[in-house]
Amino acid sequence: MENLTQLFIEAGTLMLVGMVFVYTFLGLLVLIINKFLAPLAKAYPDPVLQPKRKPSTTKTLSTEGVSPSVVAAISAAVSTYRQQNKKS
Amino acid sequence: MELLNTLWLSTGLAHFEFGQVVMMSVGAILLYLAIVRNFEPLLLLPMGFGAILTNIPLAGFTEAGGLLHYIYEVGISTGVFPLLIFMGVGAMTDFGALIANPKVLLLGAAAQLGIFATLFGAIALNVIPGIEFTLKDASAIAIIGGADGPTAIFLASKLAPELLGAIAVAAYSYMALVPIIQPPIMRALTNVDERKIEMEQLRHVTKVEKVIFPLAVLLMTIFFLPAATPLVGMFCLGNLMRESGVVDRLSATAQNELINITTIFLGLGVGSKLSAEKFLNVETLGILALGAVAFSIGTAGGVLMAKLMNKFSKTPINPLIGAAGVSAVPMAARVANKVGLEANPHNFLLMHAMGPNVAGVLGSAVAAGILLALVG
Repeated sequence: MENLTQLFIEAGTLMLVGMVFVYTFLGLLVLIINKFLAPLAKAYPDPVLQPKRKPSTTKTLSTEGVSPSVVAAISAAVSTYRQQNKKS
Repeated sequence: MELLNTLWLSTGLAHFEFGQVVMMSVGAILLYLAIVRNFEPLLLLPMGFGAILTNIPLAGFTEAGGLLHYIYEVGISTGVFPLLIFMGVGAMTDFGALIANPKVLLLGAAAQLGIFATLFGAIALNVIPGIEFTLKDASAIAIIGGADGPTAIFLASKLAPELLGAIAVAAYSYMALVPIIQPPIMRALTNVDERKIEMEQLRHVTKVEKVIFPLAVLLMTIFFLPAATPLVGMFCLGNLMRESGVVDRLSATAQNELINITTIFLGLGVGSKLSAEKFLNVETLGILALGAVAFSIGTAGGVLMAKLMNKFSKTPINPLIGAAGVSAVPMAARVANKVGLEANPHNFLLMHAMGPNVAGVLGSAVAAGILLALVG
């Protein structure tokens, strides 16, 4: 029985130490992301695809997916829509 | 006549022991769960078949010289297979949702309560006659609460190899049962208004962040918890291969062919541990019971933490995503999404729940490292 009490104490300590450590570790990771990664994202944004416009071939739509200007127009429309929706 | 007798003695029928028959039925049940119920079939099918092979009399699959013996010794007792799988999981994981909203890492931490509370529970089971769990056994059982198959197998092979079969069966069965275990707990701990909470759209995460993230995680693990570096290191390697974008071939191999090959062997190797003398005892029942408790406490821990964070956070946090902190990627995130949709049909929580979900993978790897460092 005494042995069991001893085990209980050990398990309890392990539980406490373990949870504190997991929280500290992941909490530190939160800090790292906020302090280092997020500013990094601002400093090095993903390269924006430059719209490749060849003046003479405006009519030929690019066959590889949607052109960036269309995407930009749609995103602008979506964000306006979202903002309007939020207010109402 | 003597010839007939010899022939009879070389048949399986003459040598079947009761325990072997029971264990073959256990194997058959696993096959049933995999094929008919679609419960984690990728692992339960080879595992169930391995259990049948292991218990064939005279065939000697698990004795020295037997196929399953070597598979186990080469891949599982060394920890190689679970680590290779972890690399593949890393190559399949997108940390974008987590980097965009890093505070959900705390939900992944909270859900590890399931692990450490179960550790306590496993020790408490020692009061039942017939059950004797040491602290090592208890730690290996508790990791079921991490809801992460490879982590559970890795830790069990290091701390309590004799319990590995039961632990793996419990871990994968309960992972398949996540959609049944979690929702009642999630509903009980939240009210309808909380479940309706809509979260803000996640910001865009750049490639630079995604490439540096696995390196940052690895660096932290090197500094603070080297015992977890086998798991975290392989995970980060897989993730870096994915995000760097320069080794697409390796990344594709890690998340397809390699993980598939390893899964076959891992399943067979774990199945080889399902022999009568190791599986048919009170301890297995205890492990199965503790596994369910571990999942439930983990879910509750995540949901309660999310409720707490919602009170103090500037941006709203739907408590349901806390339940995804138990890892079990991506099932737990889907469950959070589904329960959220029941309360508010326009509320898609899937992407928000993926954050705590992958945080849970990191959390359980860290927890496994702690247990290895302190108990192993």
